[in-house]
Parts: sequence; C-alpha cells; structure tokens
Amino acid sequence: MRLLKLFVPIFLSISLIVLDARFSYLDNFKRFTLTLLSPIYLVVDLPSQVIDWINDKGTENELLVSKNDYLEGQLIELKAKLQTYNNLTLENQKLSNLLESSYLIPNHNVKLARIKSISQSRLSKKIIINKGSNDGVTLSDLIIGSDGVVGQVTEVTPMYSTVRLLSDPTQHTPVKNARNGIRGITKGLASNERGMILKYIPLESDVKLGDIFMTSGIGNSYPPGYSVGRVRSIDENQDPSFMTVYLEPTQNMNRLELVLIVKEKND
Amino acid sequence: MISQFQFALLIKITVLAFIVGAIALPSMIEMISPFWLLLFFIYWLIYSNSNGFYSSAFVLGILLDVFQGGILGQNALALVISSSFILSVKKSFFVSNLTTQQVYVFIASLIYLIVFLITHIAVQGIQIQWLVLLTPLTGAILWPVVRFLLAKLKH
Repeated sequence: MRLLKLFVPIFLSISLIVLDARFSYLDNFKRFTLTLLSPIYLVVDLPSQVIDWINDKGTENELLVSKNDYLEGQLIELKAKLQTYNNLTLENQKLSNLLESSYLIPNHNVKLARIKSISQSRLSKKIIINKGSNDGVTLSDLIIGSDGVVGQVTEVTPMYSTVRLLSDPTQHTPVKNARNGIRGITKGLASNERGMILKYIPLESDVKLGDIFMTSGIGNSYPPGYSVGRVRSIDENQDPSFMTVYLEPTQNMNRLELVLIVKEKND
Repeated sequence: MISQFQFALLIKITVLAFIVGAIALPSMIEMISPFWLLLFFIYWLIYSNSNGFYSSAFVLGILLDVFQGGILGQNALALVISSSFILSVKKSFFVSNLTTQQVYVFIASLIYLIVFLITHIAVQGIQIQWLVLLTPLTGAILWPVVRFLLAKLKH
C-alpha cells in the first residue's frame, strides 16, 4: 500500500515533466497557479519597497533639484540627437523607395518597468519586473535596457512578469552582425554568468573581435535592430567546418534597475 | 488525513519556504543555498503524525515548479522521492542527535539534487553550474537553524 502511495505521485510527476517538456497543454494551468501565488512576490518585494520609500523621503530637496537639472540636460541632448535620427529616417525611406527595398525602420512602443529583487530557479537566469498583464505586457515581449537587449517575457501575471535573460541556456535569439549582416542564433551559457554562444557560423565568415550582433527579427519572435552582444572570442578549432563565436551581452545586467518593454506598434 | 493543526502548520511552512526561497541573493550564494522547501518539509514530516505525506509533497513540489518557472513536475518528483527516504528513517530521525539529523538531511538533499539534475539534464541538456553540487552540504549545515526557527513557528 505504501509503495502504491509513493508510486502514484512519482508517476504523475514524470508524466507532468514529459507533458511540460514536449507540449504546452499545461500553460494555462501554470499561468493560473502563478497568478494565485504572485502575492508572495509582493511580500518578498516589500522590504526593498520600504527602503526605496525611506530613501525617497530622505532625499534632500537640493539633491533633487540638481538631479532634475541634469536629467533636463540629458533630455535636451537626446532630443537634439533625435532630430538627426528623424532626418536619417526620412533619408533612409527615400533611399529605400529609390532602391525598391522592402526594409522598414521598426516602429515600436515602449513601456518602463522596474526589476524586482525576487529570485527564480537556481538553474535558470530569470528576473521579475513590476509590470504584468494589467499593464499590457504579453508573452514574448522583448525587454531592453539602455545598452541592449535584456531578455524576453516568459510568464505574465496581472502585476508581475518573468523575463528570461539572454544568457539563460534555454534562450535562443536570432541575430545578425551589425557590420555585414551575417546571421545566426545565440544561446546562453550556463557555465558563464554573462556569456552567449553563436554556433554554426561557416569558417570563412567575416566575424571580428568587437563586432556587435543585433536582433535580426527573423521568426518575428523579436523586433529587429536592438543590440544583443559583442564578440568576445572566436574558436575555430571546435568544428572543421564552423566557427564558434562567444558573445558578451552589450547590456550590463548587474547594475540594471529599469528596463523597457518593447511592443510593436499596431497602427 | 491531515489534522487542521498540521494542515495550518504545513501552509505556514510552505509560505515561509517560498518567501525565503524567493529572496534575491548574490548569484554565487543563491547557487549554493539549500533547497528551502525540502528542509521545511522535512521538519513537517518529522514532527507531524498525519498521513498524506506523498500527496502533500507532490502538491508542494508542483507549486514550487510553477512559482520558480521551472519544468513542471521537477521539484515534485525530487520532493516525493526525498520524502520517502526521510519517512523510512523517521523514527530514527526523531530520536537522533543534531549531527545525525544533519547527516539524514544531507542524504535527503543529495537525493533531491540528483533527481533534480537528472530531470534537468534529460530535458535541457548538461547546462548546469557546478556550484549547485554544494547544495546538500549547505542544507545540512543550516538544518539546526531551520529546526530552531520552525520550532518557534510551531508554538
């Protein structure tokens, strides 16, 4: 009888593992259960919210004014850069029309979110952000920082979303070399905190140290044109026909507090 | 059947384990931190005289899988098998001194880790950080603290 009592949950667990790994029948159950459990995130996040609140209250007026001045300066600088960008966009459109190119400059909506200090499974690289389905976040949305791509939304609850980082071993990102358009798919490295790997690039390909790879938009899983990683090293000895390229994310994940959720504009 | 008191204790222990497990730590410490739910559940197994241990382990494992965004069934399987070991030594565990209890917790954590890694490798390939192998050791080291805190919670 005791063996039967043990065997049933073991059998159920193995069945669930197979079902979850191979199919997506259980996604709705997972989403519903995670929504029920999400108040725990709120409790875990409470101390950091209190600290933020105390810090905000304790900040001196003078400091806030100087910070405001600095940010206004930055805003003016960015607006000036945007003018050049707008001119370049128009110029690019004209050239595209002349060349009859089908390339379109991506047009995206962004939404600001804050990273919460909540831990996830130890064998995966994930973060939690404070925006969820109530804020319009949907599965597969791209998350970027000021210097490049951070990851992709993998789970959504009404108030929080889980983002799988680029460096997670299960995260695959279609990319292209910003210099010459060589394409590939990056994959995170479990053994390296910050690394990604790009395999099956033909040996004679023109890839140099320091090259930037950006999202290619192939497969429509990501909007194109956002920086993913910089070439850190190239290994030509692993395979007789292909080189293996190691990338480091352009976005430093360690000091990240705020991120942007990128959504394609539907107009 | 689980009595109302035991059920309330199980709920408290589960919520606490989830909260402790979700606290963000530096990545290295996080990698070697113990399987909190297992430690807390061991306490409940030892000091509870209810039935329904395996179904409780299964449900809690599933909840943890959902909460951590892992493979559904991974923690459930590991927790059920580790629980079966603890139940087989329950009588001895109850009367043992702290050091012997730590040895039992180490073995249970090791079983948990092995099952956890087997399912992880079977589904996602060998993509692990080796520091995770220290988890049973930290579990055993922290067992006295967990036992002390949960004893306070129980009363």
